[in-house]
Amino acid sequence: MFKASIFTSVALALGLASAPAALAGEYPDQPVTIIVPSKAGGSTDRTARLFTELAEKNYEGFEFVIQNVPGSGGQKGFEAIARADADGYTIGLNFTPQLVAHIVSGRAQYTLDSFHVMGNVAQDPGIVVVPADSPIKNMADLAAASGLTVAVNGIGSDDFLAAKQFESIAGVTFNLLPTKGSTEQKAAILGGHVDAAFMNLSQMIKQHKAGDARIIAMLTEERDANLPDMPTALEQGYDVQMRATRGFVAPAGIPDEIQSQLDSMLAEIMASDEFKANAAKGNIFLLPMSGPDYLAYLTDLQAQTQAVYDQAPW
Amino acid sequence: MQKKWADRALLAVFILMAVLLYRSTADYPGIAQSTSAKYVRFLAVFIAVLCLAQLGFGLVRDHGRDILVLTGNRRRFLALLLGLGLFAIAFEPLGFYLSGAIFIPAIGWILGYRRPLVLGLTTAGVLGFVYAVFVQLLSVRLPGIEIF
Amino acid sequence: MEYLAIVFSPWALLTIFIGAFAGVAIGGMPGLTATMAVGLLVPFTYTMDPAMGLMLLGGIYAGAMYGGSIPAILLNTPGTPAAVATAIEGYPMSRAGRAPLALKTSVIASFAGGTFSVFILLLFAPFLARQALAFGPAETFLLALMGLAGIISIADEKSSLLKALIAGVLGMIIAIIGTDDMSGSLRYTMGLVELYDGIDFMPALIGLFSMIQMLELAGQKSHQIDTSALKKKQKGEKLPRGIGKYMGLGAGTGTLIGILPGEGATIAAFISYNLSKRISKTKELFGKGNPEGIAAAEAGNNGCVGGSLVPTITLGIPGNSVAAALMGAFIIHGMIPGPDLFTEYADRTYPFIISLFVANGVFLAVGLFFAPYLARIALVPPAIMVPVVAAFAVLGSYALNNSVFDIYLMIAFALGGLVLKKLGYSLEALILGLILGPIAEGGFSQGMIIGKGSPWIFFDSNIAKVMWVIILALLVPPLYSYWKHVHKAGKAAG
Repeated sequence: MFKASIFTSVALALGLASAPAALAGEYPDQPVTIIVPSKAGGSTDRTARLFTELAEKNYEGFEFVIQNVPGSGGQKGFEAIARADADGYTIGLNFTPQLVAHIVSGRAQYTLDSFHVMGNVAQDPGIVVVPADSPIKNMADLAAASGLTVAVNGIGSDDFLAAKQFESIAGVTFNLLPTKGSTEQKAAILGGHVDAAFMNLSQMIKQHKAGDARIIAMLTEERDANLPDMPTALEQGYDVQMRATRGFVAPAGIPDEIQSQLDSMLAEIMASDEFKANAAKGNIFLLPMSGPDYLAYLTDLQAQTQAVYDQAPW
Repeated sequence: MQKKWADRALLAVFILMAVLLYRSTADYPGIAQSTSAKYVRFLAVFIAVLCLAQLGFGLVRDHGRDILVLTGNRRRFLALLLGLGLFAIAFEPLGFYLSGAIFIPAIGWILGYRRPLVLGLTTAGVLGFVYAVFVQLLSVRLPGIEIF
Repeated sequence: MEYLAIVFSPWALLTIFIGAFAGVAIGGMPGLTATMAVGLLVPFTYTMDPAMGLMLLGGIYAGAMYGGSIPAILLNTPGTPAAVATAIEGYPMSRAGRAPLALKTSVIASFAGGTFSVFILLLFAPFLARQALAFGPAETFLLALMGLAGIISIADEKSSLLKALIAGVLGMIIAIIGTDDMSGSLRYTMGLVELYDGIDFMPALIGLFSMIQMLELAGQKSHQIDTSALKKKQKGEKLPRGIGKYMGLGAGTGTLIGILPGEGATIAAFISYNLSKRISKTKELFGKGNPEGIAAAEAGNNGCVGGSLVPTITLGIPGNSVAAALMGAFIIHGMIPGPDLFTEYADRTYPFIISLFVANGVFLAVGLFFAPYLARIALVPPAIMVPVVAAFAVLGSYALNNSVFDIYLMIAFALGGLVLKKLGYSLEALILGLILGPIAEGGFSQGMIIGKGSPWIFFDSNIAKVMWVIILALLVPPLYSYWKHVHKAGKAAG
């Protein structure tokens, strides 16, 4: 592992000047760097490590090095992936909707075309959650009440987009409270400082089951297997759908044979039982999607986000 | 420059900054107007008042003729500063180890240390320690390991 | 009992020892913080036995919090922002040849604060975490104000209260740079992606303290440091009497503040320091090397270790960034914070908590044993010291975000800070403003939203009222004595 990181630093430092030479040999002849655009220990990081653990075990010759590039809502990491040399020795993770939100808000130097989309791995469904003793029991209550203070995790996040969707469908205006990170949202809900929050399932499922907070809707098209009794917003008459997804992308332009090798490796690992078991243990909800499907999803999401942005830019 | 004049110039800059800061808050979008903008305006007003008070006190009370001295030894001071700048510039192209291996003994020599053996051992010790802690223990990637 | 057996197995003890020892070393290096070390090592524990992995990280956390005080005392280069208050008292003691006493005070106070807070964690975690939930954004704003009140205590005996305040507000203004969390828009970033997340306080801390110290050493007229005092007084200075009171004060304050949200350790250290100065009988010695200040500040910041874990493991709400990284390690092993940690995973959680006692014991032993040797660091010739510390300063600035930009930032802070320092502005106040500014702003903005635009929210709850009383108690006496001082000076002049 240590050796691996040295090699990769070498590769990085040299700007991969030796890339053509490397291609001449058998791929891979050096470790593959995976850029994770968030901190070590976060959900995206853990998704990457679930993959590398099995990939190194089951695919001989492959070594992976994870490089965490956190900051600016993932933008620093996304840019790094887009800029990386397309030789198959650097791939990365993306997460939505931040990937497209940065494009929409005009801050990103990359576009979706900068990437080859390899496929989606994990998701985290959107939820609406209220404090345990709240009089709000369902989405209709949420739409009926006025002047509610609602916490979202920062402007332009999945929570924010979902809250905006709900506002326009239900014809209400929330007193939106942007927080720094989901921790602050959690504290605000558990302490009863806000009336509701748009969050993600993994962040609140334990608290919901322990009775410390109450989820009132899933923001998915169908009920979620982790919480089968929980009705979706759609069932309750509000077509609000939002989920965070975390998948693999590569810089566009990697030679086809190498790219297809990586793509099929990802698909095979995601299909394995061991991967599914590890993910369940690590509280990661899987949503396997092939590269083309995921690209379609991203394109779609970008259009939706653009619509929200045009109405209320941030 | 005399200390009191340097101080006055600095305070004037701060006051100018406060004015610009205050004016810029008018452009804060949407919800920021009733939240962040208020906070920033408060800071701008507060620092402007403090600076004016300090300026006033200084004009009344401070008749000192002390000269502002940043350093007792300009040559060494500038050498260290220059060295730091070069270190930062060289950090990515040359890497930490090579730049460090030049920087440490060079600065030591400029500061008047004349025992090459001690300088060499210190440099090696520092680089070895950094390698052990950063690379082996923490797996931080530093640019330019390949030189070694 | 079985939990004790887990902790006192040879492998576990070795793990804890390595963790605490590495923690002390990491905390002692400028630019390396517990946040970074724990964050980077979290994936490393992925393949380890869960209990062992957590013990390693816990040891690092406890050790690093103490380690930050060593360079603060010896070289005036605090390794973590929480040790800035320690440097205010510790460095003058070093200069007077009393480094061994300062180091001893610091390690014992750290141990006292750390151990006390872990006791609280072990016994009352679930109960306290519930109480802490009442603490909302408005109260967070007041807590930041309480910490900022420390600016006045930094300054009050010198006559430069105004300048300290200017420096503090300047720090808060620098902290505005970056993304506006309320609107998502960018403020004053000059188009630099590096500034989108704002200015990290670590390059600032390194520049303002470590680097300035080195620039000053390099610029000394003569390179002879008077070492006779150090040699003379090396041995035998006992801890002053009654210092236990200050450690107790710091431990209590630190634990309490650690439990609350926000970057607790820095606030805790400054509030403890400030409080100790208020109750001290030797106020006039503060700022000139008073061990009482070290005792309170170090007990305070180490108290945050146990305190910050209270809401982390019971509710999944980390009290600070190190605790957040630690929480990642819990989750990696499938231990989602909540009641499960004390039932289903009790055989990992309790050993982890107990291991923190051991970690505190380890750094106590390490600190006491090495203190006399460490004190000799001050004897290293500046011509060697300067390039070595400078190299670490550059490395530390870079390694935090893998960013060369941060190196330039560090150098800029060193130069700008040097000018400010020479003109009598307090750099401690500047860094305090820089660190607490974002916390104050977040609390203020969120409070205003929750209060629907009415500032009464900041006076509404009972907690808020109590906090205002404390803030006034911290502000009024020094302001009064300052006013008397100015008044007298004015009369004398007139």
